[in-house]
Formats: sequence, C-alpha cells, structure tokens
Amino acid sequence: MLRDHKAMFGRKRNGQKIVKPTLEGLCSLLEVPAGQIFKIAEIRGGQGLHRRLLALGFHPGDLVTLDNEAIMNGPVLVRNLTSDTRIGLGRGIAQKIMVETVTGDER
Amino acid sequence: MSDRAPVIVFIGQPNCGKSTLFNSIAGYKAQTSNFPGTTVTHVHSEVLWNRKVYSIVDLPGTYSLSPHEPQEKVVLTHIFKEKPDLIVNVIDASLLSRSLELTLELLELEYPMVVVLNMMDLARKKGMTIKVEELEKKLGVPVVKTVATRGLGTDVLMEAIEKALRLSARPDAPRFSREVEKRIKDLMDILPEDFPLVANQRFTAIKAIEGETLAVDKFISGPDRAFKSELDRLRQEVSALRDAPAYEVISVERHHLALKIFEDCCRVTHSKVSAIDKLDNLIMDPVLGYFFMLVIFAGMFYLIFKVGSPLETWLLKPWEAIRLSIENNLGHSLLAELLVGLVQGIGGGLAIVFPYFIPLLFLIGFLEDVGYLARASFLLDAFMHRLGLHGKSVPMFILGFGCNVPAIMATRILESRRDRIVTALLIPFIPCAARTTIILALVAFLLGPWWALGFYFFNIFLIAILALILKKWFKYDSPGLILEIPSLKVPSLKSIWQKIYFNLKEFVRFAWPILIGGSILLSFLSYVQFDRLINAILSPLVSGLLGLPQSLGVTLIFGFLRKELSLLMMFQALGVGYGQLLSVITKTQLLTFVAFVSFFIPCLSTLSIIWKELGKKVAMMSAALNLSVAVVVSWLIRLVASLF
Repeated sequence: MLRDHKAMFGRKRNGQKIVKPTLEGLCSLLEVPAGQIFKIAEIRGGQGLHRRLLALGFHPGDLVTLDNEAIMNGPVLVRNLTSDTRIGLGRGIAQKIMVETVTGDER
Repeated sequence: MSDRAPVIVFIGQPNCGKSTLFNSIAGYKAQTSNFPGTTVTHVHSEVLWNRKVYSIVDLPGTYSLSPHEPQEKVVLTHIFKEKPDLIVNVIDASLLSRSLELTLELLELEYPMVVVLNMMDLARKKGMTIKVEELEKKLGVPVVKTVATRGLGTDVLMEAIEKALRLSARPDAPRFSREVEKRIKDLMDILPEDFPLVANQRFTAIKAIEGETLAVDKFISGPDRAFKSELDRLRQEVSALRDAPAYEVISVERHHLALKIFEDCCRVTHSKVSAIDKLDNLIMDPVLGYFFMLVIFAGMFYLIFKVGSPLETWLLKPWEAIRLSIENNLGHSLLAELLVGLVQGIGGGLAIVFPYFIPLLFLIGFLEDVGYLARASFLLDAFMHRLGLHGKSVPMFILGFGCNVPAIMATRILESRRDRIVTALLIPFIPCAARTTIILALVAFLLGPWWALGFYFFNIFLIAILALILKKWFKYDSPGLILEIPSLKVPSLKSIWQKIYFNLKEFVRFAWPILIGGSILLSFLSYVQFDRLINAILSPLVSGLLGLPQSLGVTLIFGFLRKELSLLMMFQALGVGYGQLLSVITKTQLLTFVAFVSFFIPCLSTLSIIWKELGKKVAMMSAALNLSVAVVVSWLIRLVASLF
C-alpha cells in the first residue's frame, strides 16, 4: 500500500521517470524504483565524494535499495544491504551512484 | 609502573556509543577536563581503576583514518602527536561488518589495541550471533562485549585494558592481496631515510599510495623527484589492478577483508521486520513523516507548557508569600530590600529550572538518543537548502532550543566554514530554554497560550527570513547531503540524565549565583537609586524607540548575562509581583519587551562561544545582527499594535 502511493505521489512530484535498467545498462540511484535490490556498479564524481562514500561503507559491488525519499527534491534514503547501513543522500550525490540489476543468486 | 599515567584513546565510528561508554567509565573518574577548540576537540579524563590512574581520551567519531571532515582530522592529529599507549576501538556490534573496516585500518598502525563490541543488545535483536574468540583470533587483539547504555561490561573492559597495557603486544597489520602487498613492500623499500614516518613504515607507505594529504603530500612535493616518480608508478600499478583509483583499490581490499571476517565470525539468523522498523518507515515517509514531525514538535512544546505552567505558579507561590511577609514586617528598609532581592533570586531560579529547563532538556535529549534528530535532518534537508543551509544544520537548531551554546559548538561537524558561520549567526535567534521561559512565563501566562504559540511561530519565520538574507550575503555552494541515518534506539534514561546533569550543573554553578547576586545588587541599586542613572542612559532606546517604561533599561544589562534575568529583574525593576504585572504595563509593551529581550544580543555565554569558535569578527557580526533585528522587530510590534 505504502509503496504504491510513494510511487504515485513521490515520483510524480519530483518529476522523475522510472527507468528499468536493462541487464547491461547502468542507471543512477535516482532513476530506480524504490524497494528493489540493485548492485552498485560505479561511483562517479570527484575524489572527495568518492572517498567519503567509501569510508561510509559504500563500495562498488554492494547491494543497495532505495528506501524512501523526501519531498521537494529532497534527499533519498539508501539502504546498503551488504554492510547493513542506511544513509541519506542529496539528489546530486545519488545521481553519481550508478547501479545495475542483480542476478538471482547474488541476492 | 612508570609515574606517567598510560594514555588510552577511544576511537570509533560516529554513533557507536563511544561517548556513552567513555562516560560510564569516567564514572570512576578522579577528575575530568574539557578542552573544546577547533584544533583539539577531545574530552580527556583521568580514571582511577584498581588503584591505578589511566588517562583516557574520547576522540570524535570517524569513519576512516582518511580525514574528510574537520572533526575527523582531530582524530588523526591526536593519534600521531600523542602516541597513545593503547587504542580502544569501539564498534557498534549491530554494524559489525562496516565497522570492521576502521578496525582493520587501526590495526595497520600496529599500536596495542582492544576492540569493544558495544550495543550488543541491539546486535542480538537483529539476530546476530558473534563468535568473540573467533574474532579475537582473526584480528589478533582482545575483544570485549559491552552495552554502554546500561553500563554492562565496563569492568571487563577495564580488566582487558589493564592486561593489554601490561602485555603491550603490538598486533600484526592485516595483509591485503598479494598484488597489493607487493606494491606496498616496494614502496617501503624505497622510502627515503628522512621520510616523515606515520606510526610505522608500512602504514606510511599505504597512506602514500592512498594519496593522503596528511604530511605525505607536503613531503612528496619536495625535492626528491626520483622518489616521486617511483611512487606515481606504484600508485598507477595499484590502480590498474581494479581499474579504479589507488585509494579505492585499498579501500576495497579492507572492505573484502572485513566482509570475510564478518562472515567467519558472525551468524545472522534472519530477523523479521520488527515493530521499530515499521515505525521507522512511518516517520520517514515522504508524506506522513512531515505530519509526524509536526506532531512531535508541537506535542513537545505543548507538554512542556502543560507541565511547566502550573508547576511555575505552584513554585512561585511560597516565595511570593515570603516576599510579602518581608515587606509587611520590615517595610522599605535596606535590609528588607536586600532580602527581597535574595528571595526573588532563589525563587526565580527554581521557577525557571524545574518547570521549563529540565523538561525541555529531557525531551531534546530523548529525541537525540532515539535517533530522531538525524531523521529530522533528512526530512528537512530540501527545505533547508532553499534557505541556503543544509539538513545537517537541523540538529543544531533543535539543540538551540535547549541552549544556544552547545548548538554553536555542534556546528563543528559542518564541513564548510561558510555553513558554520551562517548557522552560528542564526542559532542565537532560536528561543533557547531561557527565552522559552520568558515567552511562556510572560506571554503565555499573561496573554494566553495562543499568543505564545504565535510568538514562537513568528520567531521561526523570522529565522527563515534571516537565513534568506544571509544567503544573499554569503555565497551559497552546497556540497549535498551525506548523512548516516542510525537505527532507531530505545534511549536509556541514564544517558539522557547525563545530558541534563551537564547543563544543570552549569546553571546551578554559574547562572544561579549570578541570578541571586544580580537580584540583590539590583535591590541595592534601586535603594540607592543608582539604577536611575543606567535607565536614564538607556532611556532614548527603551522609552524613546520602544515605548517601554524607563525603569526597564537596567534589566537589559542583566539580560546580556542571561536572558531569563531580564524577566526576574523586570519584576524587581517595576516593583510588582507576578500577578500585578499587567496593571503597570500594557500588553503591547509586554510583547515589545519580550521581543527585544529575546533578540537584542546573544547572551554572554553564547557570544563568547561564537568568539571562541569562529573569531571576533563573526561574534561582532552576530551582536550587530541581533541588535538591529531586535530594534526593527520590537519597533514593528509597537507600530502594528498602535494601528489597532
């Protein structure tokens, strides 16, 4: 129930389209639907940001899901399933984290 | 044992309960000292245990030994300058896998070390079973389990510390994969003789490959060109291993090691979604979350008012009776005046602390410990960005409702100086407990709760406007939010009480005596009619501009010391008790006075902490900003009121 209304209101309000990543394709954390598991493929952006995310336990290869997002183009809430942590990320930053779909056994 | 007390540093990732653990150990303390400051920010305590003295240092939380944020740099500086005898690495056991990455990095230092698995209760709730002996074997250092919030395991920890110090065994640094190890070895071999070593050769080499700016770069930019090109080559080779920057390759090595250890030492029986998780989803919901936030904060202030207001009346009653009986028995002699001053000082202090200050501190401490402040930051981030600020400033503003001083100290965690200055300039406008007291005691009590609520909202609105103005002034360049959201925790009363105690001690030791002394002094001054001089000097402002009784001028002087003093001195200056106030001044005058006192200058402690943290210029700016806002706002109130 909750998830549905999030997809309905949360997304539309922020004017973002949901893109289903294809098997080979990458897309940013901002474009994936909430509640599904993805794998971090690559962290783009400057060295400072990159190092900061690494220190927080976000590495390429980790499994993540998008938990929630705040209104008014606010930050997104990302859960890292590999290290079992949650961080809030500004949109500009979430955009630089590229994810890919996971195959069944990786879960 | 040597005569120097062994130095033990507590290091851990933010929110691992390190300070709670530190406090529950420092309960044995012989003496505590506090050294705040931008360069060295650590709490230091001498602990007496088993007839031996230990010097224990609580460092700010850090995610890694590669510093990004100012408070993390403190950690590194401290480790390398003070050369601790023992590192106590505190870990949030419920986040074992990620926390181990810092542990592995600390092991590279090869200092004697003890690992503390804190928050064991939380880990158990998550369905984690940690095999401690296995972990000890893998890490090569002793591992202790604690639940700091309940003070469990601190004795075991002290025993482990004592033993580790006695053995003084240096752990072996964890080994990376062969290819990476080879490059580290290569670099160690060519490190020049005079290279500034950090901890040991291997650690220095790793940090050089990671390209840490810490000491290493300064040296590299030096004359030794051959070494530099060799380092560049090795860095590139490491980088090529994973087709990623060298620092990422090393970080991934630690990540994998940590995951491996985690898998070997910890079994997770799948825990079902608990009630707390469900609650968490609700309060973080993009729609309902804001509704809950409103309810939480409105409820908080409603509760304080509901508790505080009757309690205040009840507490003031006996002192009012004493005051009347003194006046009846002794007339208006000097002795009577002084006694009245004394009685009003003591009674006023009690009437402030118990009804409002303690409940407010309790509720803020509660929200902090539950983990709600981080969630509020997340929810309000977008809003704050529009005001030219950061979600990370939210907890500071909320802390400011308790007291502005710790709120300004907390701005240290903001990365940019610009954000720090803007936040610190805005915090003094937050109605702290002392000002809430004035608002509740004067506005709510005499004009009604809706007026107080209105004043509060107006106050928050004013802060938003000021933020927009400051945004024009200071160029805004936001780095975007990166904020860990800790799991919701059931707070421990002990740790909340510790926070209240800390603030209360300050009040009782510092503010209350001033309050009593000031009250007596004012009685004396009015007896010899010296206050008239001060009032005359301030008269153009007080009665000319603001239209207030001239006699209130002197109360502003005390308001600078502490805001609530203005309130007490007001009764003293006008020569009336609580109930009769509105017979002497009008409602408009009351509002004008409250507005002016709330804003006219940050109180002495706030101003001095701004000075200390951000410099004279910012402190002066803050005072000027407050004064101009106070004059404009209270003049506007007078103007608007005159229209009706």
